[in-house]
Amino acid sequence: MSGLETIKIIVDAEKEASRMLEEAQRKATEIRKQIDVTIENRRSEALQSAKQKASEITERAENEGKSEAEKFERESSEKLRELVTKSSSKKESAVKKLVELVLS
Amino acid sequence: MSETARFTEDILSIAREKAQSIISKAQEDADRILNEAKSNFLREASEVVKTAETEAEAIRRRQVSEARHTLKLREQEEKNKILTEVLDQTRKRAAEITADENRYLQYLTKLSVDGIQEIGLENVVLHLNANDLKRFGEKLNREIGRQMQNPGKVEFARESIDAAGGVIISNDDDTIRIVNTFEQRYEALEARLLVEAGKLLFNE
Repeated sequence: MSGLETIKIIVDAEKEASRMLEEAQRKATEIRKQIDVTIENRRSEALQSAKQKASEITERAENEGKSEAEKFERESSEKLRELVTKSSSKKESAVKKLVELVLS
Repeated sequence: MSETARFTEDILSIAREKAQSIISKAQEDADRILNEAKSNFLREASEVVKTAETEAEAIRRRQVSEARHTLKLREQEEKNKILTEVLDQTRKRAAEITADENRYLQYLTKLSVDGIQEIGLENVVLHLNANDLKRFGEKLNREIGRQMQNPGKVEFARESIDAAGGVIISNDDDTIRIVNTFEQRYEALEARLLVEAGKLLFNE
């Protein structure tokens, strides 16, 4: 092999090395660029999923609250009916006692 | 392998390692940044869920509280209805005493005697409604005389009063008055009647 050929081989090798490094730099830049997109996508997915979960939680609470309120209303309405019946049965005797008080 | 081949292989090998190192470093940086960001947005997402849970608890409480409030109002309405009915009936029933002449005369006498004693004057004027003035007049005077040792001079006002029953006791010139009409008694007793009615009807 002549000296010229040897130099050419070395120069080619250095060119190849330089190309490798450029390619690596390009990939590194690409990786760094890609990370912002990845972060934004993952963040968006996580928040979307959290919002969905939040919406389910509040919807469930609305339903539970509604049914709890209805249950409370049923029980209390029954108690109220009993109270009205009981009090109504005492009206006559109450009037008598109050009249005595007025006329005393 | 020739010297040149080894040399070029070294150049390429070093370049490969360096290239790999550049990519690895970029990947490590990316992983670190992603992990930091992940920790932030997961916290953010967790906050969204936590806020929803707090809101959910508030929703549940609000719905039950609204139901409780509505029921409380209904209960109060029902109680008021019964109370009003009982008080109206009491007023009506108390006024019916006027139909029982003997009983009413006794009651009117008591109201008059109480008023005369309270006013504490020698001469008093009794004011009655037109019907009572016509029905009782002197009868009432006699009853008062029977119940009081020294009632002083008792006269009846010519002008009748506008009242369902009862009496107003005044001095001669009508500047001092003790009002013992049904309406006044009822008004004076109204707060007490409400309390008593509450106790009798609702054990309050």
